[in-house]
Formats: sequence, structure tokens, C-alpha cells
Amino acid sequence: MTTLDISTSGATETAGDAVLSFEGLTVTFRTQFGEVHAVKGIDLDVRPGEVVALVGESGSGKSVTSTTALGLLPGNARVSGTVRVGGQVVGSLDKAGLRRLRGNDVAMVFQEPMTALNPVLTIGDQLTEGLQLHGIAYGKEAEARAAELLRMVGIPEPERRLKQYPHELSGGQRQRVVIAMAISCDPTVIIADEPTTALDVTVQAEILDLLRSLTEKLDTAILLITHNMGVVADMADRVAVMFKGDLVETGTVDQVLNHPRHEYTKRLLAAVPHLGEGPGQFGDVTPPEPVPGEAAALDLRNLVIEYHRIGRPAFRAVDDVTFHVDPGEIVGLVGESGSGKSTIAKCALGLIPSRSGSVSILGQDFRNTRGRRLKELRKRIGVVFQDPAASLNPRFPIGDLIAEPLVVHQVGDARSRREKVMELLDAVELPPAVYNRYPHELSGGQRQRVSIARALTLEPELLVADEPTSALDVSVQASVLKMFTSLQERYRFACLFVSHDLAVIDLLAHRVVVMQNGEIVEQGAREEVLRNPREDYTKRLLAAAPVPDPGEQRRRREARHALLTSLGEESAELHL
Amino acid sequence: MSESPKSGAGSDALLAADQELVPEAKSYSANQIVLRRFLRHRGAIAAMVVMAVVIVVAFSSIGVGAIPGWWDKDITTAYDKIGTGAPTWEHPFGQDTIGKDYFALTMRGTQISLFIAFGVGIISTLIGTLIGAIAGYFRGIVDSLLMRLTDVVIIIPLLAIAAVLARMSEGDLNLLILALGVLVWTSLARLVRGEVLSLRERDFVMAARAVGTSPGRIIVRHILPNTVGVITVSATLTIATAILLETSLSFLGFGVQAPDVSLGSLISDYQGAFLSRPWLFWWPGLMILAIALSVNFIGDGLRDAFDPRQTSTKE
Amino acid sequence: MFLFILRRTLASVVVLLLSSVLMFWLTVNSGDPLADLRGSNADNAQQLMDARVATMNLDLPWYERYWMWLDGVAGCFTGSCDFGVNRSGQDVLFLTGLAAQSTLRLVTAATLIAIVVGVALGILTAIRQYSGFDYGVTFAAFLFFSLPVFWAAVLLKEFGAIRFNDWIAGGQLGPVTILLLAAVIAVALPAVLGGTTRRKVVTGGATFAFVVVVLFLFNLLDWYRNPISGPFTALVAAGGAAVLVTAVVAGIRNRRALYAALTTAVVGVIAYAVLAFTPLLADPSWLGLFGLFVVAIAVSLVIGRLWGGYNKKQVMLVTGVTGALTSLIVVADILIGYWARFLGLKSRPISTIGAQTPNFTGDFWERLIDYGTQLILPTALLALVSIATHSRFTRSSMLEVLNQDYVRTARAKGLSEREVVVKHAFRNSLIPITTIVAFDFAALIGGAVITETVFGWQGMGQLFITGLRQVDPAPVMAFFLVTGTAVVVMNLLADLAYASLDPRIRR
Repeated sequence: MTTLDISTSGATETAGDAVLSFEGLTVTFRTQFGEVHAVKGIDLDVRPGEVVALVGESGSGKSVTSTTALGLLPGNARVSGTVRVGGQVVGSLDKAGLRRLRGNDVAMVFQEPMTALNPVLTIGDQLTEGLQLHGIAYGKEAEARAAELLRMVGIPEPERRLKQYPHELSGGQRQRVVIAMAISCDPTVIIADEPTTALDVTVQAEILDLLRSLTEKLDTAILLITHNMGVVADMADRVAVMFKGDLVETGTVDQVLNHPRHEYTKRLLAAVPHLGEGPGQFGDVTPPEPVPGEAAALDLRNLVIEYHRIGRPAFRAVDDVTFHVDPGEIVGLVGESGSGKSTIAKCALGLIPSRSGSVSILGQDFRNTRGRRLKELRKRIGVVFQDPAASLNPRFPIGDLIAEPLVVHQVGDARSRREKVMELLDAVELPPAVYNRYPHELSGGQRQRVSIARALTLEPELLVADEPTSALDVSVQASVLKMFTSLQERYRFACLFVSHDLAVIDLLAHRVVVMQNGEIVEQGAREEVLRNPREDYTKRLLAAAPVPDPGEQRRRREARHALLTSLGEESAELHL
Repeated sequence: MSESPKSGAGSDALLAADQELVPEAKSYSANQIVLRRFLRHRGAIAAMVVMAVVIVVAFSSIGVGAIPGWWDKDITTAYDKIGTGAPTWEHPFGQDTIGKDYFALTMRGTQISLFIAFGVGIISTLIGTLIGAIAGYFRGIVDSLLMRLTDVVIIIPLLAIAAVLARMSEGDLNLLILALGVLVWTSLARLVRGEVLSLRERDFVMAARAVGTSPGRIIVRHILPNTVGVITVSATLTIATAILLETSLSFLGFGVQAPDVSLGSLISDYQGAFLSRPWLFWWPGLMILAIALSVNFIGDGLRDAFDPRQTSTKE
Repeated sequence: MFLFILRRTLASVVVLLLSSVLMFWLTVNSGDPLADLRGSNADNAQQLMDARVATMNLDLPWYERYWMWLDGVAGCFTGSCDFGVNRSGQDVLFLTGLAAQSTLRLVTAATLIAIVVGVALGILTAIRQYSGFDYGVTFAAFLFFSLPVFWAAVLLKEFGAIRFNDWIAGGQLGPVTILLLAAVIAVALPAVLGGTTRRKVVTGGATFAFVVVVLFLFNLLDWYRNPISGPFTALVAAGGAAVLVTAVVAGIRNRRALYAALTTAVVGVIAYAVLAFTPLLADPSWLGLFGLFVVAIAVSLVIGRLWGGYNKKQVMLVTGVTGALTSLIVVADILIGYWARFLGLKSRPISTIGAQTPNFTGDFWERLIDYGTQLILPTALLALVSIATHSRFTRSSMLEVLNQDYVRTARAKGLSEREVVVKHAFRNSLIPITTIVAFDFAALIGGAVITETVFGWQGMGQLFITGLRQVDPAPVMAFFLVTGTAVVVMNLLADLAYASLDPRIRR
């Protein structure tokens, strides 16, 4: 792979040898709010065998840009400027020409593998369709080719898989199928739109390995759309940074990530939490260590949680879990999807019953507490959920939302409640004017601040935070995390912080609990678990998390491959 | 599954619009936004106007109970027949076989039909919402029992069970409304249940439960306000269903009984008069059509307003 | 999967049982079964009352009567059905047998038509969202939702039957009618086909001219009274069907599929020409016709397989559908051939009363035309509301599916709009519709009660209404049993359809 050589030619770009180029691309949408300029005249080239990362936060126009290459924008979009794929100008093609282009010259890998495949057609159907359409292979031959493609992307037993439906495959396997579909017609360029955002970090690493080997072995160019700087460092040869429809900076991955010039790029990079650098990355004070001796804020012993399913045996989501959170302590609960971490959080909130084991909050057993005492106990627990859009009742104005816990527990009168809300708005750095606003009028980051304010209304001694920042853009996440640490210092609550992001946990937690498939793999002080992990799973998890520094990331990748080899596994790549 | 930000074409652009709106734009509550969308639906607005005219004319013309209206004829007097009884300036809707003023009769029928329709709409909405919300929120055995109860009602053809109950009401209008009201709630109950089932898993309900909010308050303050779209739309359509159901029952002879009249009983009485006295057939029929059509269009406008993903009119 | 169906069926049976208790209790308490006799001045009124009390077991409490009824019905599983007797002592099972036949014929025909037409309209309006066609269909759908059924029935009787009968006596379209008809078609067709304004104008103009010429030609040939039929017209129609089916399912550029479909059409029509002289078609029976249909489908599939190439499944689908359509065209062609003779037997072909013409004598085909003409109006009336429901529902379901990620994936592969809609969106959009169809079926039966009454059919509706008027539970319960079972069966079919459409719930 030729990562750094390109930096020399990077300055003298010519459109001639590019397989995909945007020249003066402008996209406007007519919406009910008026015209929206999504892309404001950008130039970008992608050359054969090259990975160009298009980076930006939500609303920057990066997905819109890439979609123009396939001519797939909705009817209310107006496109001007030139988009070239190979030698063809996309805007000048008729419908049939566009269809020949799609899949054949430029293919797409989408973000959400769960919904990108048609649920009622077999994998085989969906793979052979493109082959037959573009005249690559027919009938039995197409089926053989499809099986071959599945084998190439590392799916075992490809012949059997062809007859299966998407719901029978895991998320990672589905994304492999999507990639197999993308490479099926041997396109010159693949557009990968957040290809790993919906995936677990270990699966993400495998998919990235696979994509990387495409460029190496097939000389396919990739336009990688992502918001994740770690992924950029891992994959890209060149980087283009988008901000509100403009391209603010382009250059080699080393130039942009290690020596950013534009103010926005610098800010963006500064906001990325860096795994391995521990607390205080954003210039915050490290929270003080907790004082042991008092009753634990949360104490789980031999906790078992099962989900009942009609006509099938119960599903054991959490199996024999024991850990505790001391007063004033932040415990990070880490794991991939399906590890049971959110289930534990819900159980700790008393939202789902446990099968066996004990849950005690601030010295009281949750299972034996009823009625008024339960309500009193709940008063001392706060909660923040992942999706700020879903966790705020859309029909309440912000003021009412934050005051709701006071109303439920009949604390104070209207005036004192209002004062309390104002104080909290100030604490979460929101202007008092949002008091009468509705959630849909706020941005994602603002909404999450409201969530946090609501959680703190009753000054709880325990806060349960379930992935509170993972739905946010990275710069928003940084400011929310910064605020979170300062709030914790001010209110001294204990916190169970659930996250899949090791870098965030590294930033905040005093202790870390690692979970896999409902069981605890490893727990201990942050330094111990994240720096010197004992268990293979923790090692693997740590190795798979990408860091936003190309040189370091390459070392980490090689170390990860070495780790996999030592565990007797192969790393994912294209099998030709 | 976590909800991750969609990268679909266009959603980026909308997000951008969303963020730019935040600072100084005028503040709208969810209801105000719904109202604004509704006002843009031309069909629904036209339907609202038609409906308003029908209601005002029906109640003001012949009056209600002891309160007199502006129309100088009543529904009981047999006037001198002018010619065949065809529409004249004196009797704009014509006269029936014995000379009664057909405009007055039609207005009386409209009153009764509207009364029945709205009464049934209100009763069934209350029942459907209650049953649906309880089944959806408490799930488990409560849910199973309530849903089987719903099935028991659903499996009998609506018209058939309505006919039986209507026969039991023996011409008492209030009983008839009650009878129909306890029948047509089933589809609403299912819809509300579905909504509640998904809403109760939403984070804001989880947050409310975690704070210690009581189930009653959660249902009333947090869940039901968010199902208001489904409920309103369904209530509207129930009104249309009720008015047509009453018509059918009257036709079969189980609906409103003489001497009172409804639009249904008027058509039913004069269906044989189609060739000899067509006006006796057309006016009540067109009246039903106008009311039902308006209600359906209003329902469509509401649906678009509450759920703007699939508008039937172009923005 | 099997367990799932079994559980659903058992649950349905329990629900059916509970509903029957409710229905029985309600019916028994809905009035006084002796009301007419109490007011009677006849000398033997008391005697008649006693007799009725004895026939209807009125001296027993309602639950004992229910038990007796249930016991009789349960006998059906052991081969000795007993639905009880009605007030006058007639065997209800016998009455039900006669009535159920015509009602189920009506309801089934209406359901099939409503599904086919409603789903097709829904898909077309979804594809042509915000077009004039979309608005037109939307408005029509709302209009049909809002029609009082029997009010519309009176209109339909007047215009569909009485005026049609008057007109067919002469059988000539007036010039104004012709121009009007042509204008309507010339506006509607381009609206469905879509495209640029220019294209619409050209298509519209051509359509207008074509329709005017054809209709004048029909007048000259006295076509409405004496239509031309025979293998040649059947060949033209079947060929057209073959092209259409290919265009929709496989795309007209798929030559293999096109030739296969045309082969099917030609083979079908040749078979028709040969068989027309044998008793198989000249004097058929229902069983014979059904056998021929099965053979036709089998042959079509074989043709598809032979032509198939790499994509056998798709081509076989094309030929199978073409084969089915060709069979229908052949039947239609035969019926057209008999039309003149039928007019000779019955000069006013569409009557407004009854499921069949009393004392009508004719051969198989003539009787079939008689059934058909009697079925047309009530079926159309009944189907209209369901068509409106299905088209609205399909439209919204289709729009929802067209917004899904996998449709975007399909487009990104380079599939044409036709392939995206037919292969990727259609099947997914059908999944929620199965549930609605089952629901709607119950409503349809309610509608059938009205429709039968208006058109004077001796069907289940009649049985029910008379029973209810006389507070006579046996016929009312028979009605409930037939319709309730039909609804349960329909739900079961919907579950099966759901499972076959959606692999996610198969196990």
C-alpha cells in the first residue's frame, strides 16, 4: 500500500487520470423551509487504487456529494457543476446511461447493513441480479460467481448463504454481502458511505481490512464518507474535510490529520477523544478519587436477566454479573452490541426485572422496595439515554421537561421549580431562552444537554448514563463530555457510564467493566484494564479501536494482526 | 437496535436546515406545526367549509328543540301540494307524498344523522383509546384478554351485530348511539395499542418511569398526547363509518324509527320514488355524501398534518 | 411455522365460540319472538303461540337453547349437521346451503376484483404520486368510501340495468357518447402512462382518434348486439396480453420472455380453435373447464421452462400468467360468441332482481352468461368500497417501501424503475396488505347483506334479516356461523400469504 508517496503528487492534481471527479459541484434542495444549499461548489478527485476520505459532521453535505456520483438524489435537488465517473459526465447521461453507470462503473456501500438488503429476496438473488443486469454472468455461472464473491469477502459456506435471507445473517456478514454486491461488477470506484458506523468496533476493523485489500488487490478506488477520524487514519490516502457544504481542506492523510491548517479541521481533531491518553484530554480537572466506606451507590450481585419469548426458551441477556459503583465514582461499562450492557443499565433503573441475584441502590434492595419507598429511592437516581431525540417527550416544552421530576415528586412550588430549571439550564450551558422551546427546535447536542439537566434536577446520588454521547457529532460530544466532567465535580454523583467507545470511557471512568455476551470478561481500575488487559477479548477490543493518527494507527493495526495471528485467527482480506 | 443518524440523500440537507432554524425563528409547539400543515391541505380546508355550512344550516334553519330557526316550515305539517311536489321557491327541496316540506325534513334528518355520527365517534373513541392504551401499556395477560375481546367483536360482521343491537334499542336514539358506540371502537383500540406498545419502549417513557412517575400519569401525560394523531384521524373516520352505518341500519329497518327521521330513513322510505319523485331520493343521499366525503377529506388532511412523511398533496 | 398457524387457528376457534355465545344472547334478547301473535286478533292466536313456543323451545332458558344449538352444530364434525329449525319449522341447514352459495359467490368475486384492481391502482398511484391520475384516484376513492351503499345501488340499478337494457335493444352509441367516451379515455390513459407534457398530448391525441374510429366501427358492425368472436379475435387479445405481461414482469427487451409469452398465447389459441368443436368446450362442465385450466397452466409453465434460458423462474412466471390470461380470454371469447343468442333468449339481459333468471333454460354457456350478468352489478357495487380501501392502503404501503434503504441499494445497482418496483418494492408492499384484506373481508360480508337486499338475492343477508326481524336465533346463528367461519378462513389465508411473502416470520 502506498500511503505517503501520494503526498508529492497531491499538489499537482489533474482530472485526467481521476476515476471520479467533482468540479464546482453545487447542490440545492427545495424544502418547505426554503432553499437549502447542501453543497456549495466543491472540487475533488479520486484516482485508481486510492482511498479518499470525505470527512465532516452531520449536515456538512458529504453524503449528498457522494450521491451525485450515482445520480440518485431525490427530485427536489438541483445539481450544477460537473461530476465525472471514468470519462463520462454523470449529468449528461440519459436514464439508460445512468443505469449502465450504476453498479458497473461506480458502486455504493451504505451505512446500515440491516436495511440495505431486501428482506424478502435471497442473498443469491440480490447478488446475481447485478451480474445479469450488467451482462457479466448468467444463470448457473452467475450463481457460481456470486458464491465466489461471498468467499472473497470472507463469508464461510458461500453456497449455503446464497439461499439464505438477509435476516439470517449477522450485521457484519450483511455488510460483507453489501461489499460483495459492490465489487460484483468490478467497478472502478466504490463509494462507501459510513460503511462501519453501524457496526461494532471489532467488526469495523474487519470490514476496514476488507475494504483496504480491495484497493490493494483490485486497484479499486474508494471514496470513503465518514465522521470517524480513527477510520480516516486507518484507511485514507488523502482526506477532504467538509464543513457546511464547503471543502475547507484537502491533503494527504498525514498533512490533514497531523498538520491541519484550517481552523475547523483543528477544532474537529482536538475534539476527538484519544484512546490511551486518559482523562484530562480536553483540559479538564481529573475527578477526585472516591472515598470508600459508605454504602455503594449501586451494587449488583450475581445478577441474571432473562427475556421471555413466546414459544421459545427464554433468552439470557445478562448472566451472573457482579460489580458495584461507589459513591462519587464513575464506572465505565463497556461492550459490543448484544453484550447486555444496556440491559444492566435498565435493570439498575428498575425498568426491567431481574431473574435472580440482587440489585441494591444506595444500600437498599431494589427488588424488595415498593410504593412510597420505591418512589423515594427513584428520586435519588438520574438517567441519561443515548438518543436525545427519543428521550425527550416531543410534546413538552424544555422548561416542563426539566421540571417534570420536581412535579412528579411534588418538590417546591411553581416559582422555585422555575428557578431550579434556570439554574440547571445555566449549568448545562444553555441560554434561558430555550425554556419555552420544544425539543424539535433544538440541535442534537442541545437536546442532550437538556437530558442531562433533567437527570440532575433532583440532584441524584447515582446517575445512569446509557451511551449518552454516541448519537452526537464528535465536536458536540467533546463539549458535552467536558460539561459532564465539570458537572460531576460540582454535584459529586456516582455514575454508571455505559458506552461502546473505549476512548470515551478512558476519558471519564475511574473503573472499567468489560462485558461480552451477557457476562463480565474483566473489571478493574481504568489504568489496569485499558493499559494492561489480561483477557483476550479486552485486548482484541482495544486493538480494534482506531486512533486518529495515521502513523500510530498503522502500528496499532499491525499489532492487532499480530494479536489475531497469536490467537490463531486470520485477519479479514479479499481472497482472490 | 440503536437509532443511528441516517445518511440518506437529503437528510443531511434537512439537518442543516434544522440547525439553522434554531436561534431566532419563531417558536411553534407540535400542535401549532400540525395546524399549519393542516391549513395547507386544500382538500381538507374545503371539506371543513362544507362541513361548517352543513352544520350551521342544519341547526339554524329548523332550530333545535324549542328554539325556533329561520325556516318557516316545520317537519310535521302537511302543506298544500304544489303540482307533483317537485322543488319550488316555496319548497326548495320539494314536498313528500303528503305535502310535507322536504327541506325541513332533510334538515331534521341531517341533525339526527350528525348527532348519531358525532355521538358514536365520541363514545367509540373513548372506549377504543382506553382499551388500546391499557392493553398496550400493561401488556401480558391484560393485553391478551383485551385483544381477544376485540377479536370477539371483530369476527361478527359489524353490520350484523349493529343490526342486533339497534333492534334492541327499539328506536331510542340515545340507546342507538350507545349501541353503535360500543361496536366501532375495535380498529381504534388496535391502532392505539400498537402506538402505545412502541411508545412505551421509547426513551422518554423509560426516563419518566425511572423518575418514579405513576403509570396513570405516564399514560395520560406522556403516551396519549403522542398518540393524538392516530386517535384524531381514527375518530374522524369513525364519524364517517357511523353515518354510513346508521344509513344502512335505517335501510334494513333497524335504525331511527318513525316519526323521527334520519337521512338514512328518508332514503329508505323513498327509494321506490326514484323514478316518480327523484328529489325525495337525491337530497338526503347527496347530504350523506357531502358529510361523509367532508369527514374523509378532513381525516386525510389530519393524517398528513400529523404524519408528514407521506403527504397526499405536494408541498 | 406449522405451530404458528395451528396456534392462530385454535385461538380463532375459541374467539368464534365466544362470539357465538354473544351473538346468540344478543339475538335472543333483541325483542319478543311472539310480538306478531300477541297483536293478532285471530281466534287461534293462543294456539299458534303455544306451537311457536314449542318449535323454538321458548320455555327453556337461553343458555339451554344455545347448548342445543351448539350441540347440533358440533354434529358437523361427526357427519350429522344440525343448524336447528326456524320459526316456521324449516330446516335451517337446507336454507343455509342455498343461501351461502350465492352469497359466497358474490363475496368471493368482489374480494378478488377488489384485490386485483385495488392493488394495481394503489401501485400506479404510488408510482405516479402527485400526478393528476393520483389526485383523480384519490378523490374517487374518497367518494366510494362515502357512498351509502344502497343509495348507490338504486342509481346502479337505474343506469346499469334499466337504461342499459333500453339501450341494448338498439345497440348503437350516439356520436356525443362516442366523443365523450373517447375524451375520457384520452385523458386517463396518458395520465397513467406519465411522461412529459408533449408525450402526454401526443398519446392523448392518438388515443382519442383510435377510440373514436373503433367505436364508430362497432356501431357499423352492430357489435354490441352481435359481436364478432372466434380464434382470430382471441389471438389478437392473447397476443396483447402476452406483450403486456412481458413488459411488466420481465421488460419488453427480454426477448426470451417475450417469445415465450407469445408462444404460450399462440398455443393457447390453437388449442381453443381445436377444442371448440369437441364437447370439452362446446358443452362443458365445471370440472372439465377446471381441468382444462390446470392443463393450460401446466403447458404454459413447460413452455416457460423450455424457453427459459438462465432465468427460468422469471420466464415461467411470465408464461404462467400469460397462460392464465389466455384461458380467461378464451372463455370471454366463447361468451361473446354466445351473446347474440343470449339476447335472443332474454331481450333485457340485466335484471335488477335475483341471483339468476328464474325458469331460464339454456346450455352451459348461456346459463353462465346469465349468472354473469346478474352478478355484475352487485359485485361492482360491493367491490367499489373495497377497491377504494385497498388502493389507498397499497399506495401508502408502496410509498413507504419506495423510501427504504434496500430500494436505494437496488437503484444503485443500476436496476430500472420497472425492476425496482416489480422485483424489490412490490412484494414488500404486499406484506402489510394481507392483513387489511382479511379485515376488509368481514366488512365486505356486512356490505353483502345490504347489496343482496337491494338486488333481491335469496342469500345469507336475507336469512339474517328475516331471522332478526322475527327474533329467531337459528337463521341468525347460521348467518354468523358461515360468515364467522369465512372470516376465520380468510384470516388463515392471510397468515399463510404473510408467511409466504415474508421470510422473516417463516421458521
